[in-house]
Amino acid sequence: MNHPSGPETGPAIEICDLKKEYGKGRGVFDVSFAVERGETFGFLGPNGAGKTVTMRTLMGFIRPDEGDARINGLDCFRNRARIQERLGYLPGEIACMDEMTGAAFLEFMARMKKLRDRTRMNELVEYFELDPARRIRKMSKGTKQKVGLVCAFMASPDIILLDEPTSGLDPLMQSRFIDLVLQEKRRGATILLSSHLFEEVERTCDRVAFIRAGRLVGSMRMDDVRKSRKRVFVITFADAATRDRYARAHVDASPQPQGAASVEVTVAGNFDAFVKDLAAYDIVDLTAHEQTLEELFMHLYGTMEKGGSHE
Amino acid sequence: MNKTLFAKELRASLFVSGIIAAVLALYIGMIISMFDPELGESLDAMMQSMPEVFAAFGMSTQTTTLIDFMLNYLYGFLLTAFVLVLVLIMANKLMVRHLDRGSMAYLLATPNSRVRIAGTMIGVVATVLTALAVLVTALEMGFAEALFPGELDFEALAWVNAGLLALWLAMAASCFLSACLFSNAAAALWTGGGLWILFFLMQMVSQVDDDFELLESINPLTLFDYYGLATGDASAIGGAVVLAVSAVALFTAAVTVFTRRDLSV
Repeated sequence: MNHPSGPETGPAIEICDLKKEYGKGRGVFDVSFAVERGETFGFLGPNGAGKTVTMRTLMGFIRPDEGDARINGLDCFRNRARIQERLGYLPGEIACMDEMTGAAFLEFMARMKKLRDRTRMNELVEYFELDPARRIRKMSKGTKQKVGLVCAFMASPDIILLDEPTSGLDPLMQSRFIDLVLQEKRRGATILLSSHLFEEVERTCDRVAFIRAGRLVGSMRMDDVRKSRKRVFVITFADAATRDRYARAHVDASPQPQGAASVEVTVAGNFDAFVKDLAAYDIVDLTAHEQTLEELFMHLYGTMEKGGSHE
Repeated sequence: MNKTLFAKELRASLFVSGIIAAVLALYIGMIISMFDPELGESLDAMMQSMPEVFAAFGMSTQTTTLIDFMLNYLYGFLLTAFVLVLVLIMANKLMVRHLDRGSMAYLLATPNSRVRIAGTMIGVVATVLTALAVLVTALEMGFAEALFPGELDFEALAWVNAGLLALWLAMAASCFLSACLFSNAAAALWTGGGLWILFFLMQMVSQVDDDFELLESINPLTLFDYYGLATGDASAIGGAVVLAVSAVALFTAAVTVFTRRDLSV
């Protein structure tokens, strides 16, 4: 196949018609996307949607059934060792060498990566407040995740693949992670991160793609996402009768099964009218949340069947 | 070979190798100290009283020289089957566990090719087994010289132990190939290991009962003919060479499989 993308031109990461089937509908099917140099790309989807399969393909761990995956214009399976020279990776499942201490593991990985300078490594250890002296086996999930993150970023790679990077991290560390991604982005790194959390993607990514059941549902620029996103309000009325009165007047309000007197309303744009309209009802509680990315993509592309949990 | 990985894995294998080496040392010392032409007679008497039991463990030859005595009591089972335990532990540590737990992902997330990673792991097991063979030889020579100076035929022992190392490497290579072939951890460990356990059982059965000659003819363990090696018999040397060549071939196959397969780590 003739690809115009060379090492220094064209997209940093490129996936064309990728297909990898694991039977029973699992795997990825006809996935195509490209990540431009210096771009941060969010790869969103529920568990089991195919995010990790895509990551493993990019890492050269698995060979595509059809289609191809390229990094810097190099085939991911055939040139995997060469690609690794300038790549940082955080696996989705944190399984470091259990019997080593964090410090020994990081030193080992630094040597495996032929990293001369340990300054960045030590900076990152401090940044994440990681105590590397303990054995990895005894570490909590979040602490192991920190070890993995230090490992992914310590060589200041050009391209960084992160599979569910904030799983297990507490909110403070999640926000530190987001700052780190922004910092790396300023340095010029190309970052592909998979996640099922909207917030980290929203705050870090330039572009986002949504994958579901192995198929790419769509991708859009984050600016466009912000524009098209709506607020979801859950309104709890004083009693069921009031709720029914509201529901009759507003066909788009969906009654909530949990609270007998609650409805969920999606509002776009005209908040003034929404609030003034509510004044006519007896309300005991009102909560708002932003549409989740899954809801947004379902709204935009509308073709997805229901079912399949988000978590 | 990657020096960093080699050093790390070698260090991690030191403890278990040390234990196996200590057990072997204990037995080698014990068996050699039991050599005494007169006591040998009483051992032989015991052997004759329950020939099947002794034969099952490959101890069936009337012994007169020290090397025959050692071959009879050490090489039929202890220095072969017991070392399979070490081989299995190492195949598990170096390959199966890394793939099963996913820590292989970290090794591959470095600019090292799969050939180099697998080659390093093989280097570790080959180094440990070679060191163990040297240690066993030294212990045998040391004990023999200390207890019965001048009794042991060093050259014959060296030939036998070279063949022994070839057998160990062939066992390790088949266990590595099975570790690289299967993604299921139990299958990866026990296909290779189980096969050799079966070979040892087959050997025990065929040594007790002559009716099982077929078992003997298809058993790769017969390629390690330690009595023949001690006397410099050509077919015994041929058998050892076959073992060594198979080891190289199986290790090569293991690396090839490892570089081509999908790794879900």
